[in-house]
Amino acid sequence: MSIAKRTSFTQFTHLHVASGYSFKYGTATPGQIVERAAQLGMNTLALTDRDGMAGAIRFAQSCETYGIAPILGVNLSLIHKKYRVTLLAQSGALAALYRLLSAINMANDDNLLTFELLEQFQEYSSQVLLLHGADSQLATALSKRRTEEALSIYTSTKEYFADQALECVSHQVRGDGPFSTPLAARMLGFARDHGLPAILSNAVRMLNRSDGPVADVLDATRNLVPLHHRHTERHNSEGYFKDSEQMYFLADEISRAAGERNGRSLLRTTQEWAERAILSPRRDIGIGEIHLPEPIVVGASNREDLVRQLRQRCEAGLHQRYFGAVSVAAAERLEDELATVRTLGYESYFLTVADITDMARSRKIRVAARGSGAGSLICHLLGISGVEPMAYGLLMERFCSTLRHELPDIDIDVESARRLEIYDAVFERYADPDWSKPGNQSRVATVAMVETYRARHAIRDVGAALGIPPMEIDLIAKALPHIRARNIAQALVNLPELKSLNMTTPLMKMAIELASRLDGLPRHLSMHPCAIALSDLGLLDHAPLQRNASGYPMVQFDKDDVEAIGLLKLDVLGVRMQSAISYALQEIERVDDVVVDIDAVALNDIKTFDLIKSTRTLGIFQVESPGQRELVGKLAPENFDDLIIDISLFRPGPVKSDMITPFLNARQGLRRRTIIHENLEPVLAETEGVVVFHEQVIRIISIMTGISLAEADEKRRDLGTIDGQQGVCDWFFPTALAQGYSFEVAAEVWEVLRAFASFGFCKAHAAAFALPTYQSAWLKTHHTAAFIAGALTHDPGMYPRRLIVDEARQWGIVIAPLDVNKSDRSYRVERTNITPRAPYSAPDLLSTGPALSLPDARGYAIRMAFSELHGISDQEIDSILFGQPYQDLADFVRRSGASRPTAESLIVVGAFDELHNMNSKKGEVKSINRRDLLLHLQDLERLLGGKKSLGSGQLTLGLEPPTLEVSGLADFTPSERVRHEVDVMGMDISHHMMEFYGEFLNEIGAIKSSDLIHHRSGSSVLVAGVKVALQTPPVRSGRRVMFLTLDDGYGCNDATFFEDMQDSSADLLYRSWLFLVRGVIRRTGPRGISLRATGAWELSSSYEKWRNLGVCEPLSG
Amino acid sequence: MFELTSNQPTEPADKGARVLAPEGEPVEFLYKGRRFHIHAIVSRWRESGGWWNRIDDGNRHLTEANIFDDGARAIWRVEAAPEGAMTTFEIERDEITGTWLIRPTSRPL
Repeated sequence: MSIAKRTSFTQFTHLHVASGYSFKYGTATPGQIVERAAQLGMNTLALTDRDGMAGAIRFAQSCETYGIAPILGVNLSLIHKKYRVTLLAQSGALAALYRLLSAINMANDDNLLTFELLEQFQEYSSQVLLLHGADSQLATALSKRRTEEALSIYTSTKEYFADQALECVSHQVRGDGPFSTPLAARMLGFARDHGLPAILSNAVRMLNRSDGPVADVLDATRNLVPLHHRHTERHNSEGYFKDSEQMYFLADEISRAAGERNGRSLLRTTQEWAERAILSPRRDIGIGEIHLPEPIVVGASNREDLVRQLRQRCEAGLHQRYFGAVSVAAAERLEDELATVRTLGYESYFLTVADITDMARSRKIRVAARGSGAGSLICHLLGISGVEPMAYGLLMERFCSTLRHELPDIDIDVESARRLEIYDAVFERYADPDWSKPGNQSRVATVAMVETYRARHAIRDVGAALGIPPMEIDLIAKALPHIRARNIAQALVNLPELKSLNMTTPLMKMAIELASRLDGLPRHLSMHPCAIALSDLGLLDHAPLQRNASGYPMVQFDKDDVEAIGLLKLDVLGVRMQSAISYALQEIERVDDVVVDIDAVALNDIKTFDLIKSTRTLGIFQVESPGQRELVGKLAPENFDDLIIDISLFRPGPVKSDMITPFLNARQGLRRRTIIHENLEPVLAETEGVVVFHEQVIRIISIMTGISLAEADEKRRDLGTIDGQQGVCDWFFPTALAQGYSFEVAAEVWEVLRAFASFGFCKAHAAAFALPTYQSAWLKTHHTAAFIAGALTHDPGMYPRRLIVDEARQWGIVIAPLDVNKSDRSYRVERTNITPRAPYSAPDLLSTGPALSLPDARGYAIRMAFSELHGISDQEIDSILFGQPYQDLADFVRRSGASRPTAESLIVVGAFDELHNMNSKKGEVKSINRRDLLLHLQDLERLLGGKKSLGSGQLTLGLEPPTLEVSGLADFTPSERVRHEVDVMGMDISHHMMEFYGEFLNEIGAIKSSDLIHHRSGSSVLVAGVKVALQTPPVRSGRRVMFLTLDDGYGCNDATFFEDMQDSSADLLYRSWLFLVRGVIRRTGPRGISLRATGAWELSSSYEKWRNLGVCEPLSG
Repeated sequence: MFELTSNQPTEPADKGARVLAPEGEPVEFLYKGRRFHIHAIVSRWRESGGWWNRIDDGNRHLTEANIFDDGARAIWRVEAAPEGAMTTFEIERDEITGTWLIRPTSRPL
């Protein structure tokens, strides 16, 4: 019975293999499978995932690494949903398989290849190989001994494919059904009887025999049922990646059962079919290729024309933006950059991105570049990036150089509210709209994102499969941090929340073990939130497509895959701040009739920097968080460069490596700055001798060793890894010494490079961020009301709207209530002659430096928006706006189309006050109030016979409409009004919540946030306020610190709770909303103030005790 | 080509049977004190699964590395005889413990 030695056969080739990219089916990643194949000495391998090819590029890359010839295919339903077949791409014809798969995906959601599609896309299917395997319709017919039917199935698909074979699979299951040796033998016999090819596969879905339980869990998860024999596909564990000997054994077993002497013939055909399908990772799959849009797309006739066009556009930009001496330097730099681009052949890349930013601008959509692209003068001249790179020392080499053969990465930020308009415009220009037509010629699609199993999903899916009570699973899943699934066991040990659960039962142990085995498996393919891929006309030849949830065509590859096959990947990020800026600009034009070109505003406005220095930065891009407010208070940015530094410093890296302290010390004159060598002076002067930017590292390396900036950037990249660092070290010392530097200087510089290279920040990236920071600060300074209306409408920041509303009040802006006739969908700016309280003015003290000039927005009001009303629908807003103006409540009820709850909400927040003259008739004895309106609404409602909607036309039935009368009921008190505002709009509008505690707070001597600066550093004070933020950011020491931000109506208090305070306060801080906090003042800079908390109390309960018992906890305790 | 009979074993299985299987394939075995020689393997198959039903029975010694009792077993249906009439047996090997199990099927051949 022993297996004959076979020297005549090469190693077996698996032609039917599912990886984890057969979502919730395969148990191993393509990389693991390829690695195993290599260990087993195989030289060819197929990946044939179910219903998609999202694993193809990773698979091909792994194959290249291990020197294995890849074959690609897909397993999907043919004609009937319940049967599956495997399609293989023929050598040199992968594009045909991609196009066929894309056609199927575009046509239906079931991944079903129908006769209709075969008819329509025969030009592609006729280049594809078809395998009728164990779960095909053909195999099922044979298992029922219906030979004629089997033959007619084979014949019916014959004309559509390049060739088809019977795929014999035996998992050695009992009986003679699918995956049994008898059926495999019968399929072989059938093939022999009719002269058809037959091959052997193992229909692999697991790497090891021991992976059966993982497969079962995936089956249960896929079918959304608990584990049961009925729902698991396997009968045993034989569907794993068998070695060649095992496959030879099966070939013999099947062949002998079919009456042949041995399995040689079956294996030979398998090998022949494998050879027909071998692909080249580069030529066929396109790894390392580059496919940019053709010159014609940007209106050039050929490559030379493209080069010429790029030069012309850049030169035009140069003449527009640069004058005098600097234009000479700019022209020189442009030549360098153009030469680099020409060498790389990336002209089309730059012009395409410029084309897209132009498209956005022509639609008046704000757009800004993000990332290292801002370092390129070309990007600036083409209008892709708004930052001028030369003045800020930004380098092209950090972005793109001839030494790096990968496409540079340009990200663009656009208005979040209009992001999809850009998608639509790009698709209109770069895509052929008829996606289900053979030969579709498109150049663009969205990009996929692979979601993999991490701890939470893994434990949820395993728990559901094992039937663990949902409550328990939920408890565990919620307690788990976002970690890898394989670390669950370790994490659970440290979670006190789970003490009540017994985690050591066999069931629980098994669940944890299973969850850890799901670790890293793909679980879902979704759309990347912002990436699009562009290519030449043949996008569909380079990648398979499907429709994503939003209806856009999407390549099944993720962003790394897309880069690997040389498509242009462009991230179009929706940024709320850009929408807020755009909104503010429209409001300025509408209300003040002033057109502001925010992109042309000079970056040196003193008032703007005064506002930033005052730390009143709420709503400003990047610098509004408590941590950033503290940092700008210390750093006191004077100019745009300082803003770039500020943004670069406020990151986990610099915080961890403590770059901030030496910088601030030098900056504030506490310590003299030290620069290692005079040659480095020009590089390091801007940051007080501290290395902050990647660009500085690049320049230092270049200066110390004499290499070019492009080469220096390669060295900088090498510093990122331990091995690379050693390599750079070995090279750096001799080279620097040869340049004439002393060993001491070289050693000191090396120490700096080593320490900071990995923490440094790309200055171009920071500069790109600093631009909207400056622009938003400028708008807040000069057009405060319009800016805040924009911030309220587009909600770009981290704070609740009620705090932004309060911020508006502090600059003298009147908050106008919701009004049925005056309000709009969004927040609108109005002119007003109501006198508000005096705006905030920064104290001018000895310790704070020169006086700051701050905004004064008196004379403006911001009108509350309909969209803020809870429960109101978009359609309701549309119809309310359509009916404006209204004469009275009855008219509103008749025509507005608003629902009863909406009408009621509008009444209680005072949206009818002005219409019914409630405000102007103060003092009159018998005036209508909001309660009367509610009664009136009830009467009007009764007339409608309880109909839910107050639709139009309902009141014209001849009944006399009820009249509005003064009922004599008392109006709402101010505190009732605020409660209603909070209920239906989520914020206090007519009064700040703290006003109701005013007497108490005065009595106990609580300090207003705006007055804190008058108090000595080190003194102990009481502050109060509404919680607006509670954060636990990373800190250098690794100890947890909690930052509580309170709003008291005069600004914000930032209190820090260190570990010693957290035991007594953490729970209270999470749970409550209004606080009294005792703390010690710490002055951190000219205007930087923070409180070290020494006590915290719930404000309303302290207030109750004070009122009822006459005690004050914070004072007595 | 052969056909599989679906007859079920009628007698209780011999647990912990002794089977001679020099290369993993059974050749001889002891049944009720008599030595049987296997003349032919009629069919062989493998079974496993249902591990989730055996989480708590504690009958098996599972290693820390593999805590799943997937019930993996290999089964041979064989024709064997000591002398005289040939009988059909099912021989089963538990893939985790390595123990053998023999049961005769009802129909003598």
